[in-house]
Amino acid sequence: MARIELNDIQKRWGPVWGVRDVNIDIADEEFVVFLGPSGCGKTTTMRMIAGLEDPSEGEIIMDGEVMNEIDARDRDVAMVFQGYALYPNMTIFENIRFPLRMRNIPKQEHDALVRRAAELVELTDYLDRKPAALSGGQRQRAALARAIVREPQVFLMDEPLSNLDAKLRQAMRVQIKHIQRELKITTVYVTHDQIEAMTLADRIVIMQSGAIQQIGTPDEIYNDPANTFVANFIGSPPMNLIEGTLEGGIFRAEGIEVGGLPGHHSGTITLGIRPEDCTVAAEGAHLSGTVFGVEPTGDTTYLTMKAGNKLIEVKADRDYRADLNIDEKVRFDPTRIYLFDGESGERLR
Amino acid sequence: MAAKRKLKGESLFLRYLILGGWALFCLMPVLWFLSIGLRPRTEIITPTPIYFPTFSLDAWHMIWEDWPMGQYLRNSVLAIIGSVIIDLVLAIPAAYSLSRFEYRGRDDIGFYILSTRMMAPAIVAVPIFFLFRNMGLLDTIWALMLIYAAINLSFVTWIIRSYMLEIPKELEDAAKTDGAGELRILWEIIIPAVLPGIITAAVIAMIFAINEFLFTLLIASTPDAYTMSVALANFTGGSDGIIYNAIALVAFLAFVPVFLVVVAIQKHLSRGLTMGAVKG
Repeated sequence: MARIELNDIQKRWGPVWGVRDVNIDIADEEFVVFLGPSGCGKTTTMRMIAGLEDPSEGEIIMDGEVMNEIDARDRDVAMVFQGYALYPNMTIFENIRFPLRMRNIPKQEHDALVRRAAELVELTDYLDRKPAALSGGQRQRAALARAIVREPQVFLMDEPLSNLDAKLRQAMRVQIKHIQRELKITTVYVTHDQIEAMTLADRIVIMQSGAIQQIGTPDEIYNDPANTFVANFIGSPPMNLIEGTLEGGIFRAEGIEVGGLPGHHSGTITLGIRPEDCTVAAEGAHLSGTVFGVEPTGDTTYLTMKAGNKLIEVKADRDYRADLNIDEKVRFDPTRIYLFDGESGERLR
Repeated sequence: MAAKRKLKGESLFLRYLILGGWALFCLMPVLWFLSIGLRPRTEIITPTPIYFPTFSLDAWHMIWEDWPMGQYLRNSVLAIIGSVIIDLVLAIPAAYSLSRFEYRGRDDIGFYILSTRMMAPAIVAVPIFFLFRNMGLLDTIWALMLIYAAINLSFVTWIIRSYMLEIPKELEDAAKTDGAGELRILWEIIIPAVLPGIITAAVIAMIFAINEFLFTLLIASTPDAYTMSVALANFTGGSDGIIYNAIALVAFLAFVPVFLVVVAIQKHLSRGLTMGAVKG
């Protein structure tokens, strides 16, 4: 129901940069996830969309209208907070009803709207309770119901699942995505959890030190990372990043030699390869080293190889077992090798 | 297991013994007051203490018939309630501003408010006397209300402010995005959340006001404005000499309402006084 454009957004507190050069165009009904480590500026960016924080420079535009001077309460935006932020003195019913009262929606409609929102998050049995009498997951659902009750133009969610345990988080993730698809409301979601980002997002915005590193679909982010930061941040275990030199299309590092690479790059290079794109194989091997560790997890076995002083993670066959310190050879999938500039970390193509 | 249990029972008994002894020690003066207040005058001043005096309502009749006790009581109650209302009306917005908005000199202003409590009351006694005389408020309960409110305003503000600092900022952000304005947020979100703090501050202000003596003596010169605390002092003079049993009874009567209020809100009070000291 709303398109959001952020044009050249900057946020400074005195000499401290919060956010710099943020440009993004979020389409109507899109689910965008801001992903990054803590302090990367993702929450600040979201608060600027909400109107809780003013950008130092740049424009925030919703459906063609510049919102910079418009108060948070007059933007049709609903936010879900990390700490839930339920009003402790009100019952769950009153909490969900609060935005309706504030926006002068006729009283006779309140009851039906609150019940519909509560149904959507399966909370109808708890409407008479105070927030203190609910579990973490129930509180989170109440906060969600409060956000959806008036069907705003935009949903903003600030790490809404980070206080829940792993099992509940997964269930809530599915629920949030389902509700968003059902209501077709443009959503901006902030998290530091890459799984949440990959599973929820139409597009992911990766941020670090206040700047956007890459914007793309989960597939693009995973398969086509723009720099070493993105490559390392997405994926579990993360991509192996091996420093070495490239000369005449051949990459060399201690114990590692990879040929057939583009000839137009040379010098100090970081080679990236994901653990699942490595196989244990003597034939056509790119890496020879010793076994440093073997971790069976049931459905797969992670092998850690040592080449020189570098540790390289390999996703091996589930039945793979080996003694420590024996020699082993590993082959990289040549179509899945990424090259990054050794200094800037930018992707070389 | 059994031995451990027995030990636990013993330590529990010891705990009750110590606490009970302490409670008795603290309550003794009060009980002694009551005992003096309810005995005839002849049994007050004796060379040996009388532990089981004759019961007598002499003092009770005396304080209601010989003095305008009802008037004193009414003055006390009106002045105290009025002063607490003035305090809350001024302190709540002030505390909200001091805890929630950012502006230059905010902390200095907060400290200035607190510093009004730091000077000895006697220093301002004379200026205040002239101030009220010029306003024509001498010997009225309006003056008492104002002076009690002024004395208590600083710490009432600070107690409420410390409660407001504990409210997560997220609550206000949530209310803002839900469409609430500043006054709505204050009224519907902040005030209910700090209610225990407001009650604590109000009760402490009441207790201070009940015990206030110096300024009341300065301002009140007739029974029109006498409060319990000043009236009590007047019992020591006159042709009857010092009427100990009446004094004791009035003191007891002044104690009872405070005691009842404190018991009623005890839970909030202990939470209020430790809040800010320990996080969580």
